[in-house]
Amino acid sequence: MGGLQKKKYERGSATNYITRNKARKKLQLSLADFRRLCILKGIYPHEPKHKKKVNKGSTAPRTFYLLKDIRFLLHEPIVRKFREYKVFVRKLRKAYGKAEWTGVERLRDNKPGYKLDHIIKERYPTFIDALRDIDDALSMCFLFSTFARTGKCHVQTIMLCRRLTVEWMNYLVTSRSLRKVFISIKGIYYQAEVLGQLITWLVPYQFAHDHPTDVDYRVMATFTEMYTTLFGFINFRLYQTLNLVYPPKLDSKSESELKAEHEEDYAMDSESYLEKLSALSASLARVVATAEEEENQLDQFPAEGEDLENMEAREKEQKEQEAQNRLFEGLKFFLNREVPRESLAFILRCFGAEVSWDKSLCIGGTYDVTDETITHQIVDRPDIDKQYINRYYIQPQWVFDSVNAKMCLPVEDYFLGVTLPPHLSPFVEEKDGDYVPPEKLKLIALQRGEKHVQDDEEEDDDDDEEDNDEVDDEDLTEEKNLKKMEDQRSQGKTLAVKVTPGKVKPWETGSMGNKVRLEQEEKAEEKRLAIMMMKKKEKYLYDKIMFGKKRTTREANKLAAKRKAHEDTSKAEKKQKKAKKQ
Amino acid sequence: MAAVKRLKRVAALQPGFISFKSSAESDDLNSGRRKRVNKNKKKNWNKHSDIQDVEEFLDDVRLQERATGGLVSEKPDDTLFFVDIGEQKKGVQPEVQERKKGKKSNSRPLRIDLILQHDSLVPPPKDVLAHQQPNAKKLRRIAENAEKLAAMGVLPRRQKRLLSRRPATKTSKAKTAANNFPDRPYYDLWGGEAEETADPYYLEQTGKSRVKRPEKLNAKPSILPAVEVIAPGGSYNPDFFSHQALLLEAHEVEVKREKAELRIERQLAVKQEDTATEETVFQEQVEGLVEEEEDEEEEEEDVSIRGGLQQEKKTEKERKRERADKIKSQQKQAARAFTDKKQQLFQLRSIQATLKRREQRTRERVAQRKANQEAEKSMPRRLGRLKFQAQDLEIQLSDEIPGSLRTLKPEGSVLKDRFKSMQKRNMIEPRERAKFKRRHKVKYVEKRAFKEIT
Repeated sequence: MGGLQKKKYERGSATNYITRNKARKKLQLSLADFRRLCILKGIYPHEPKHKKKVNKGSTAPRTFYLLKDIRFLLHEPIVRKFREYKVFVRKLRKAYGKAEWTGVERLRDNKPGYKLDHIIKERYPTFIDALRDIDDALSMCFLFSTFARTGKCHVQTIMLCRRLTVEWMNYLVTSRSLRKVFISIKGIYYQAEVLGQLITWLVPYQFAHDHPTDVDYRVMATFTEMYTTLFGFINFRLYQTLNLVYPPKLDSKSESELKAEHEEDYAMDSESYLEKLSALSASLARVVATAEEEENQLDQFPAEGEDLENMEAREKEQKEQEAQNRLFEGLKFFLNREVPRESLAFILRCFGAEVSWDKSLCIGGTYDVTDETITHQIVDRPDIDKQYINRYYIQPQWVFDSVNAKMCLPVEDYFLGVTLPPHLSPFVEEKDGDYVPPEKLKLIALQRGEKHVQDDEEEDDDDDEEDNDEVDDEDLTEEKNLKKMEDQRSQGKTLAVKVTPGKVKPWETGSMGNKVRLEQEEKAEEKRLAIMMMKKKEKYLYDKIMFGKKRTTREANKLAAKRKAHEDTSKAEKKQKKAKKQ
Repeated sequence: MAAVKRLKRVAALQPGFISFKSSAESDDLNSGRRKRVNKNKKKNWNKHSDIQDVEEFLDDVRLQERATGGLVSEKPDDTLFFVDIGEQKKGVQPEVQERKKGKKSNSRPLRIDLILQHDSLVPPPKDVLAHQQPNAKKLRRIAENAEKLAAMGVLPRRQKRLLSRRPATKTSKAKTAANNFPDRPYYDLWGGEAEETADPYYLEQTGKSRVKRPEKLNAKPSILPAVEVIAPGGSYNPDFFSHQALLLEAHEVEVKREKAELRIERQLAVKQEDTATEETVFQEQVEGLVEEEEDEEEEEEDVSIRGGLQQEKKTEKERKRERADKIKSQQKQAARAFTDKKQQLFQLRSIQATLKRREQRTRERVAQRKANQEAEKSMPRRLGRLKFQAQDLEIQLSDEIPGSLRTLKPEGSVLKDRFKSMQKRNMIEPRERAKFKRRHKVKYVEKRAFKEIT
């Protein structure tokens, strides 16, 4: 009894939140400015758990911010700049209205501006923090740099984005840190590993955009403003780590090489340097002239047991990495007119190849089509008139697939006019027992160094007269293999993926094989015993897991069978067609 | 008076003087009676002495000087006279031609310029002070002194004060360049910074140090990755099955959407019973004309029954019986509860089982809730008036798949993808474009010009 009655909505979650409009009034900003400020400072709206309580009994949907966030915003010096800008606009409008042109000029000279450096520093206290968050910045800058200069956004922004993206690509070329590429219908996905961080970004195709109407360009421009600042600082730091000059300068040697006589035809003087940089065909100048490649050895530590294994694994990984980085080293490419120059040049240069293109295509081509030392020419048309004998004519997909496979794939599948094998996504990682498309299986086998003994496609194309029963035999064996695979998987063994039937199984040959077999049997026995010794609870869990695995394998097998059926039908169709032709 | 007369006489009698004006009025001047005035005072002298003739003479002299550049009497004869030898034919013709030309070329000076021209022949007086300087001697002395001091290396005080003044800080005046300036410089933002040595409290109070950003703000509002890679079926040259899988996914989305649409349509559909038939129309028309009395009577009866019940009173006997019944039932219940408790001793196993079951259920629910919370982290939240709507899946049908990179037609827009991704990651609230709302009605008025025609 007694005491004052507690009022509603004066404590608890109602006091922790503030509506957007109230926040805006508290900061004395217009809605557009408020939105801009929130984006720049990285303050996002928050959905309260109990909306009705926060909204003082009303259930109307509203945008809420945390009150503490808004209080934090009150300290931001940029808020004052925004207000100043508001006043500036008002004065300018007034001066215009009164036709005071000197006044307009004076006001324009004293236009208030602001910097975002301190915000970047505040949001990303360390460099690695910033690098982790660069995905967005990259995608946005690449997107904006492809915009046409039609007034949808500021031309200066477009130019800045272009400059930053060119710097980024040059960095990747120099540091050789590109890992994966995926050409999708939306755009090209890239993945790079920079200072241990995996960075993924999306680059739109170079075609004209249709500007969607339901996108808020102002919001996007604000994001870009923030991201360009962040991106520039990151670029600076990255260039510093490689001892490169920032802003990037071409090597004096390559600069003289690139000095074309018709330079002014390509671009204006002010633009041609950026164009040359964006051609990516030359190396960059360094602060300290050092040896091109420093072999950085992993430090050796005395280690035991598991550590040792880890170390070995790491060492192996690094070696593989280095091998991948040198994937195209020593090869000389020539890009035809119809292939996407920028992406291909970027990728090829990232793996150490030499690239050139036609003079009319872009600035920066270093050699001509007629160069005899060219090893590969990338062509994307059904046929070409004049062919040189000492070079491969391949389709552009070869480059992308080779990068993803971390090895130079056989060029035969990618020759001119050949139906290409599917372009698989390198971003998919199949788990144990998942369905793996046969192309990928083949690729894995190739990576292991096995030669593909039998090639389905070749079989299709060349050996029409092959006996049917042989095919059947193969089918049978394949089915058997599948069954075996399923059994093995369900037993929980790590599976050695084999796609080469007819190869002599190692345990069927002599005493060596026997030994291996015995070992395996022993292992299986141990496992069975372990299963028997399990507690009831664990057993239950184990059974469950096994059931799940079996299910996935069953599904995978179903898919494989489906694929087989599909291929069979297509094969039959082909045969029919051929028969008709004949 | 006499002096004036004398002067006039002197002027007029000067040898060779030729006056411009005729001196007809001089007779008139002389004709008046002589006035006798004392001229022993300056005032009187000034007032009564007649200087008109002198002034006229001087005026005439000035006029002559202005008009002819000197006294006519002093000029030589050949400047004043010429020998008239009749008309010169040669001289006339070119003049006419010139005049014609002048008309053509329009080079004659304007009249206004002619008026404004300086027409006096007296040269302007020479400025005597033009080459003189006031205080020249003093200034020269000062300069000499300063030179001597400068040679000795002593600066004057003014200069010293100027030099000792701090240079104006450039940063305050320097304009901050726009953030999107294409050649803007960057620097090492995360480089080593000088440690702040001042008192932190002082810095905070004077607003010289920034407020520290709360750690919580650096958390991302969603766990989704910034760039979600499209499914493998979205490759430009996809594997058959992954492409089919993507198509199936898109198909499911479409089916769902269609279902929702159908549902709305169904809800909006007019029921068969609601449509007006002849009968209902008639009913509506006669509504209220036919009285329905039966219902009212029934209602009245109900009311009377209820009132009767309420009025009935319990007897003492009845009350006693009720009380006894109540006590009895309570006892019965208590006994029942007691036996139940006793019985529970024998039900221990089943109770334990139920308990276990319940616990199991709670555990499952906790796990489920946790999983839901985890899943919710990657879901778009409701941040405003509108719900997040995912964009359409980008797909290419089987016959749209290009054979090569050259013939690829890109699907969807990356800009929209980025925008939606930000909405999905709760960075911005979903919004729709503001609709243009007219504040005042538009008034159409026909212009008079049109009115006449129509």
